[in-house]
Amino acid sequence: MAPIPITSPVPATWYPTLSVFTLAIGLVITASFFIYEATSSRRTRSLAKELATGAVASVFLGFGTLFLLLASGVYV
Amino acid sequence: MKTSMWLDLFLFTIAILWEPVLSDLVLSKVERRIDLTSQIVRITSTIKVENTGSDVVSEVLLAFPDSQASHLAYLAAFLNEGKGKVKVPASSFHVEVVHPKDMPPSLTFYSVSLPKGLGKGEILTLDVLSVYTHALQPFPEKITQAEIQLVLFQESAHFLSPYAVKVQSLSIKLPHARIESYTRMENTKIHGSEIKYGPYENVPPYSYSPIAIHFESNQPFAVAQELVREIEISHWGNVQVTEHYSLVHDGAQSKGEFSRLDYQARPYARGASAFRRLVAKLPPRAYSVYYRDEIGNISTSNLWGDTKKTELEIEPRYPIFGGWRTTFSIGYGLPLRDFLFQLDGKRFLNFSFGCPINEVVIDTLIVKVVLPEGSKDISASVPFPVKQWQETKFSHLDVVGRPVVVLEKTNVVPEHNQHFQVYYKFNSLSMLMEPLMLISGFFFLFVSCIVYMHADLSISKSSASYLSKLQWEEVLATIQQVQNIINRCLPIHDKLEASLRDLSRTGDVQACKAARKSADSLLKELSKELKLLVAFLQSSLQASQILPKVEELVARERELQERLMVKHSTVVDCYEKKSGGREIENRVASHQQKITALKLEVDDLLEFIDEI
Repeated sequence: MAPIPITSPVPATWYPTLSVFTLAIGLVITASFFIYEATSSRRTRSLAKELATGAVASVFLGFGTLFLLLASGVYV
Repeated sequence: MKTSMWLDLFLFTIAILWEPVLSDLVLSKVERRIDLTSQIVRITSTIKVENTGSDVVSEVLLAFPDSQASHLAYLAAFLNEGKGKVKVPASSFHVEVVHPKDMPPSLTFYSVSLPKGLGKGEILTLDVLSVYTHALQPFPEKITQAEIQLVLFQESAHFLSPYAVKVQSLSIKLPHARIESYTRMENTKIHGSEIKYGPYENVPPYSYSPIAIHFESNQPFAVAQELVREIEISHWGNVQVTEHYSLVHDGAQSKGEFSRLDYQARPYARGASAFRRLVAKLPPRAYSVYYRDEIGNISTSNLWGDTKKTELEIEPRYPIFGGWRTTFSIGYGLPLRDFLFQLDGKRFLNFSFGCPINEVVIDTLIVKVVLPEGSKDISASVPFPVKQWQETKFSHLDVVGRPVVVLEKTNVVPEHNQHFQVYYKFNSLSMLMEPLMLISGFFFLFVSCIVYMHADLSISKSSASYLSKLQWEEVLATIQQVQNIINRCLPIHDKLEASLRDLSRTGDVQACKAARKSADSLLKELSKELKLLVAFLQSSLQASQILPKVEELVARERELQERLMVKHSTVVDCYEKKSGGREIENRVASHQQKITALKLEVDDLLEFIDEI
């Protein structure tokens, strides 16, 4: 059996594009999170909604930062 | 010099006195070619071995005087398959150090094992390549900038061997035709930059006749006293190589002063022994190449590449004269797929061991292979003996650290640029560790924001301003609830209107009545809730300012409801009595006007409350 070359899960040339898009989405969700925090009063705020928005935003920001690091040559 | 001469004499005496022990083998022909064109001495010997005894011989001994063996960096024996054929390195023999009994001291023996053995009368031709470092001795040891570099090389004109040699010859290739002196013996010829000794016939075993050649060599004597190569694997698509050099010119020491003006005006006369540039041959598709030292980037470098290789030409900050040293680092990234492979559930890195710079001798080479976090069952396979151990390195986004395989070898020459493998097991899910760390970091940030917004940070919980603030917040929340309820009422109104339109289309009176009933009950429930909220607002002092508006809103909404109901029932009645379209319109017109006006008013009030 011949050895199979190993490649990255995502082609390295996609990293800049991916990082721009995921970071943009992440920042938009972050913005909506903070708008919600600032506009809702203590009584009307729902913890589940806050946590859900925060979780989705952190997933996008996390992957966006990873791709940004990879695109800029910091291979983690 | 003197001691080595004595040693040679001693060996020569041994050679005469020693009785041949391994007389079964005879070397029928030995041709040696010594290449002295660089600082690395390469001796290629073609040896024709003949078995004159009756037993099968499975090993051939090669002898080296200890003074030479200490400089020996690389030794390999190949099968010579005759002229015209390309030598295949695959047919190399196993070579190892042996210490046979009854052998003269001050000799080191290497045994070439022949897997098939050599039967009676059989003949085998071997090619032996031995590579020596630090074997050229600068003489004089110190020169000025203007002088040329002369080096001294010592060898034996006869092939030192435990076997008798029938015919032998030696040719020495020098970098220049300029030769200071050389030992003259019988049958010595000189041909430009080549000296030939021999042929000599029927030389007994262990015969040693020292020769010394003193010649000019201005080749770069670049010696890396220490080279640390760090190969870092990232499964996200990169193999990062960083090489830290500590380089010295190991030729004749520079004495006197250095004039940069002289050097720049006539570099070949004033600084012939110095070297100013080095060329590193990097693998193809290398990218992000850098060349720097402690101060920062060194801009004097050139890079060009094609599909087979990438060439990096680097120029240190100053020309390197004898004894001068410099330290620098070069680094480059390589695509993962060229070097990392998978085989039988294991991954392995296949990388070249030595240094990419041409003709550099490395005193101590340390190769560090940094594997990704979470690698298990690590093993390295190197084609020659090395010292190896494991370390842990902490890099970007690490928790437990990355396993590092360290390979150390002394006395490395370009012949050691062979591929080595590091095998390890890795679960692809471990790759998600890094993004998960980033995600949890961001999530922690959000959670701390939520906690901050939820926490009550006021110090005095009983002060008037704090209490009034709390009340005001309660009022605001109540008003928001009121708004929500009104906003839920409005679609119910729309539904009623829609049911009327359906009626005019289908004439289904029962359906219309049912719609009214459900809307009525829904609206009643909502108005109950509204009542509670309004009662709360009435009891609160803080709400006194907005209360009238809220009450007006609630009243108008109720009026709107009632009007709608009246209109609805009127229309349904008319349908039941089968009145004409015009009559219905007449009867409803007044209600309709009121409803439109009320709707506008409710909208205005909602907007007003929204602004609070």
